[in-house]
Order: sequence, then structure tokens, then C-alpha cells
Amino acid sequence: MALRHLRTLRVVTSLLLFLPALFIFIDLTGVLPPWAVNALASAELVPAVVKIFSGVGVGAIGLFLVLIMTVSFGRVYCSTICPLGTLQDIFSRLNRKRNSRRRFLFRRQNYLLHYGLLGLTTALALGGSLFLLNLIEPFSSFGRTVVTLLRPIALLLNNGTASLLGAAHVYVFFTVPLHIPSPWALTLSSVFAGALLAMSYMRGRLFCNTLCPAGALLGLLSRLSLFRIVIDKAACKDCGLCEKVCKTGCIDSENMRVDFSACVSCFNCFDACPTVGLRYRVSRAGAQESPPRRVNRRRRALLQGGVGAAMMVLPGSDTLRAVLPVPTGKSRSKLPISPPGSGGTGRFTSRCTACHLCVSACPTQVLSPAFLEYGPGGIFQPRMDYSASTCNYDCAVCGQVCPSGAILPLSIEAKKLVQIGKARFVKDDCIVITKKTECGACSEHCPTKAVHMVKSEGLFLPEVNDDLCIGCGSCEHPCPSTPNKAIYVESNPVHLAAKKPESKKAEPQVKPSADFPF
Amino acid sequence: MDRRTFVKQTVGATLLAGTVAASGRFSRLFAAVPPLPYDLVAVKGGEPEAMFDAAIGALGGMTSFVRKGQKVVIKPNIGWDVTPERAGNTNPKLVSRIVHHCLDAGAKEVYVFDHTCDDWRRAYKTSGIERAAKDAGATVAPGHTESYYHPVSVTGGKVLKEAQVHELILESDVFINVPVLKHHSSSQLTAGMKNQMGIVWDRGYWHRNDLHQCIADFAGYRKPDLTVVDAYLMLKQNGPRGVSLDDVVLLKTQLVTTDIVAADAAAAKLFGVDPDDIGYIKIAAAQKVGRKDLQNLNIKRIAL
Repeated sequence: MALRHLRTLRVVTSLLLFLPALFIFIDLTGVLPPWAVNALASAELVPAVVKIFSGVGVGAIGLFLVLIMTVSFGRVYCSTICPLGTLQDIFSRLNRKRNSRRRFLFRRQNYLLHYGLLGLTTALALGGSLFLLNLIEPFSSFGRTVVTLLRPIALLLNNGTASLLGAAHVYVFFTVPLHIPSPWALTLSSVFAGALLAMSYMRGRLFCNTLCPAGALLGLLSRLSLFRIVIDKAACKDCGLCEKVCKTGCIDSENMRVDFSACVSCFNCFDACPTVGLRYRVSRAGAQESPPRRVNRRRRALLQGGVGAAMMVLPGSDTLRAVLPVPTGKSRSKLPISPPGSGGTGRFTSRCTACHLCVSACPTQVLSPAFLEYGPGGIFQPRMDYSASTCNYDCAVCGQVCPSGAILPLSIEAKKLVQIGKARFVKDDCIVITKKTECGACSEHCPTKAVHMVKSEGLFLPEVNDDLCIGCGSCEHPCPSTPNKAIYVESNPVHLAAKKPESKKAEPQVKPSADFPF
Repeated sequence: MDRRTFVKQTVGATLLAGTVAASGRFSRLFAAVPPLPYDLVAVKGGEPEAMFDAAIGALGGMTSFVRKGQKVVIKPNIGWDVTPERAGNTNPKLVSRIVHHCLDAGAKEVYVFDHTCDDWRRAYKTSGIERAAKDAGATVAPGHTESYYHPVSVTGGKVLKEAQVHELILESDVFINVPVLKHHSSSQLTAGMKNQMGIVWDRGYWHRNDLHQCIADFAGYRKPDLTVVDAYLMLKQNGPRGVSLDDVVLLKTQLVTTDIVAADAAAAKLFGVDPDDIGYIKIAAAQKVGRKDLQNLNIKRIAL
């Protein structure tokens, strides 16, 4: 078999999988149904692993396939399914200067850092904090990169087209409002995305073999792989071309060894090899590691120490919260509110990988990436932002798309009875009291009439029935009171059950059979 | 661009704009409009389509309102993500029938839109209005972002001096207001005038600054050429969104009039409240936007 065709196969497969993965995060108008979005994300490694712990086991099929594939052929996942892998390849390719002259070189992998991070990430995750995982997890990093950097561009293009056509009253496209999350979350997210793309531009798949927990896990598994890439010493002409095209730097052409646990199975080497010096064959030999070569020990120690210290300090620290300004809305709500189906903030923050698939899919765009609202450990995890919008009563899209099970898929009927928070009315701030005129915007939008109007001194004043309230924010969002909202939703850290609204059958005042009343 | 091209283009554009203006809404100023036989037509006992056929027939057909080549905008209530039987939105069958009548009368374009309360795409879809209007031949337009709204001054407004109004209302020759009759937690009752909150952008201002006065002020800004009150199904309680089917009663009634205040006064009676108990009806009548003295109006009553 001509092994060089493997590269073409890899490129085609990765693009076929990459484009849908890109689209589910950019889908501005909700073209794809939620189940399709969920299905497209179902083979993503880390969300699938987290899903095992979330009480919804159906995601395990995709995970199983990935594991089988890895112990058979190595980290094929990293070059096909992983959208961040393909995104890095695209950026790496953009670096034409390197493509023409100075290309990649063998690099002894820093397993201490990579596996150490995997261990630390796992330990923190098992301890309930996904802080570290969410910063370096590839699917989430991809999602955030797309939502932060590419989605706004797509949105502006869409809105430009919409307004041009709209001027001619053609409404095939329509404007999509741009919701800007907390500026801090946005900035940080952009910095991470920028760093990641710069890394791939300069050094190919550096991220995959230093930080990526999925890469580390699959790297460990690929040590057991049945088929692996080896250099056939008899056929090799020692030209070194394979090493130059290897974007992970896992081929040591000098010593004719391949570090297969670092190989992302991109098959560039097969394509580059002028002879048949490289083989993809059944091998029982363990990962072939090369002797150390040109290692800057001091730089490595600094890096490891720095990363380690940062990881230890950040997640549990309240100092960060004290240093950075916490965004203050006009709402008086103090604790963050997690989406319906997440069970509560505690369960949610220990299950959500912050991929932002729900942020992108939410039809009302009420989900907004948190900065420090959940605490420093909950960075980027979405929360309900009622200053931006409200949670639509007849919608449960977030749970339907969530790939990690952090937001469980609920039926619409079940979702309508989940109380994620309770409305709190501040009488002294209410328009009806301060301006002595009717208002009632809160009750008007309330889908359960938990917020209802009661006559008081000749005017109608809102009143909240806690039992019926589901905390959807339909009252808080439209409240016209300034500077403070007169009604806001207070979080239920553990979600509760609301009562089903009941009312007696309405009777017409004027019988339909009677004459006109005028 | 050289100077000659600039001059040519400017002159061309001006001529074009002038032609559009002349052939548009201002042409109505010079057209002879025969007086209508009735101030208000009330129909009951039929399906929405049949009731509208009867009502518009009594007023001389849609040609009394829509002339050949005109642009029509229909503003139903599409506020909520609820199904037609919940009566939170205007009946889609009625919207469809009105679109048909407009096109039959020679309308060049018929637009349908609302500034919804729930997510606009869900409301458009669940209400059944998007499908019904499109199938009938109308263009369904969005109204969910500020970019579609332009500032206007509300002459005669006591509190509401300016508003941002949807461009289709500003550009169209004929404006047909098609509210659904409902209980309303803020204004007690919603029909014609309250429905017009859906053609403006900043509704929060109204809520902050005496809701009833603002509703009445705006009613005087651009009176609809026709108001059709859908009272086939009526939301009797828990309005304006409604909580369940328990809130809905079957009334099988429809009101058609050019007087938006008369529409609301008659709607109040149908609902079972005194028009004088509804703030904005009282204010609008006092500001001479229209008439609430139903006893002095020429009303055609039709029972099907």
C-alpha cells in the first residue's frame, strides 16, 4: 500500500470533520438542530470522559471508538477528530517562511511537564475543580477561540449583508445582536486564543505535546498501539526530510528513531520520504525514545516551576478575586445562576468544560461566559446573564447540545419546573412607587405569573409567588427601573423544583351568544 | 469620482427620491377618498377569515384602503413564543386573510412584522404567523434589532415626545394594525393602541414614564389606516402571555375600524370592562386621537 496516500486521507478526513465542528460554534441563526450539534461534538475526548461522571452514559460510544482507534493506530484522533489540531495545522501552514526553508526539527519531548500537567489536571478535576482542565482542554480551547475571535467576524459579515439586503427589504439574512460577555472574560479568552494560535504558527503542534491533556492521555495509550511508525534502517537514505516535515518534532532522523507517543499521525513523513524508509507496521517495541539532545535545562526548570506555582495558587485563591475588578451589573443578584439542567452551581462547575457550545447555541443569548462570578476556578463557564437577555420558557437547547453532561438534557416540560433561582422584588426601587404610575413590565413577561400584579393604593404593584418562580429572568431583564433593577433573580446554588402553575378556567364576562355589548 | 459624475448622480438620486415620494404615501393626499359607510364594523359567530370577509365587505372591500401598487404593512401581535390556541398572539388565519385581501386589491408588497417580547424567531414560528403570512404572499420582516428603527418626533405627545419607529411603518403607504384582544398585567387591557408598542424600539421609556400616557401619545403619532381587533379567542386572564389554555375563552368576534380609540373602547366592552377604566383609552379620547363614545358612532353589527 502506498503509505503516502495516508496523508491525503488524513487531510481530507480532518477537513470534513473540522468544518462541521467550526460551524456548530459559528451557527449564528441556529440552522442545525440541537441533537445534530450534540452528535457532532460527541466524539470529543475530554467532554466524553467528563460525561461518564455526569450521569448520562450515552456519550461513551464516541469515547470507546477513540480509544480503540488509539490503541490500534496511535493518535489518529489528534489529526482528524480534534478541531483544535486541525486549526493549529491551518495556522502552522500559514507560516510560509518556515514552509519554504527552516522547517521542523526533532525535539525531545518534555514528558515531565506533559504528564505532570495531565496528573494535576486529573487530580483537580476529581477534586471538583475543572479550572486547569478548562484552560488547556483542546475542544474548549477551540470553542472559545472560535466564539471569541471568529464568531464576531462572521457576525459582522452577516450583519453587513443583512443591512445591505434589508435596505432593499430582502430579509434572507437578518442582523444578529452581538453580546459581549464580561470584558475580562473576553480579554483573557482572546489572550489564550492568540497565544495558542501563535504557538502553532511558530512551532507546529507544540501545544499537543506540552499542555494538552487529551494529547497526554492518548500519548500514553499510543504506547500500547498495535501499528506504529518506525524507520526502516535498511531502506532509509538518511536524508532527514521526514524530520523536517514532522510538526510534532517526534522523528529523530539522526538516530533513526520515532517517538510514537508524541506522534499525532499526520503522515506528513510518509509523504516526504523519497524511498520507503518509513513504515507503519505492527511493532511490539515500546516507544522509541532518543537520547537527550540540546536541552536548555534552566529554561525548562523555570517553565515548570512557573506553571506549577501558577496552577497551585490560582484555583483556590481569593487573592485574584480581590485584585481584579468583579463586573457589577445593575442587578443586585450576588451569586451566579447556572443554566437549567445543571443541577446547581456546584455540580455545574465540576462538570462544565467551558467549550461554549451552549453559549453559541442559546437562542436568546442569555448564557454568558463567567469571569470570576463562579470563583476563579469557574472561569469561562457560562452563567445566566439577565442583563443581556432572558431564558426562553419553552426552550431547553443548552442541555440538548452540552457534550459533557454539565447541563443535562431536559424535556421542555421538565425544564419548566426547574427553579434555578427566585425573583426578589425591591419595592422602594419600583417605578410604581417612585413615579406613582403603572408599569408591570416584570409581570407582563413572566411566563408562569409567579410575578403578578396586586392593586395597592390605586395602582398595580408586583408581587412574587416563590413556588411558581423558575428564575428565568423574564422579570429582571425588562424591568425599566434605573439605576437599580427593582426586581432581580437570586440564585439557587442547588436548583429546586417549582410548582406547576394552575389557574381556574376563565369565563367570558360577555356571553358569546349575547348581543354586542355596545 | 469627478465633479461631473457627482453632479449627475446627485441629480439622479434626487429625482428618484422625488418619484418615490410622489408615488408613495403622499399620493394619497391627492386621491379622492370616498367616506366610509360605517365608523366601526363588529362581526361575530364565524371563523376569523369569514368574519374579516364580512367586515371588510361592509366597508366597501379592501380597495377602500389599498390602491394598486401600494406598499402595505400589517402589524399583528407576535409577542410571544406560544401556539395559536393559547391566544397570546393574533390568529394566523386572520393575518393570512388580510394579506390575501391586500394583494387582491393590488398591493405591490405586503409586509408583516412585530417587535416581539420573547425571542423573535421562536415567536414568529410558534405563533404560526410567519408560515401563514408567507404562504399568503407577504414578506415577513424582522424587528428585533435597533437598526430597523428610526427616530421620529411624536407631535402632540404630552410625555412621549420622540420614539424610534420601525422603518416599514415609516415607508409604507398603508398601515394595518391587527391586535389580539387580551388581558394585560401592565395596562389591564391590550388591543389596538397597546399593540402599537410593537412598532417602536425603546419600550422601557414608556414603562418608566407613565405607560398609559405614552400609549395614548403614540396613538396620535401615526393612526393606522385600519385596525382589526382579533377577538376570536380571547385571553381573559394571566395576560399578555397567558400561562395555560385555562386562560382562553372562545368569543368568535372581530372589530374592524379606522378609529383606533373606538376599536379599543369596543374591545373593552367585549372584554367586560368600562373603557373609562382603562387609562390610555380615556387619555387618547381626551387628546382627540379618536372617539370612545360608542353610542354616537355609526356601528355596523353583523352576526354570522
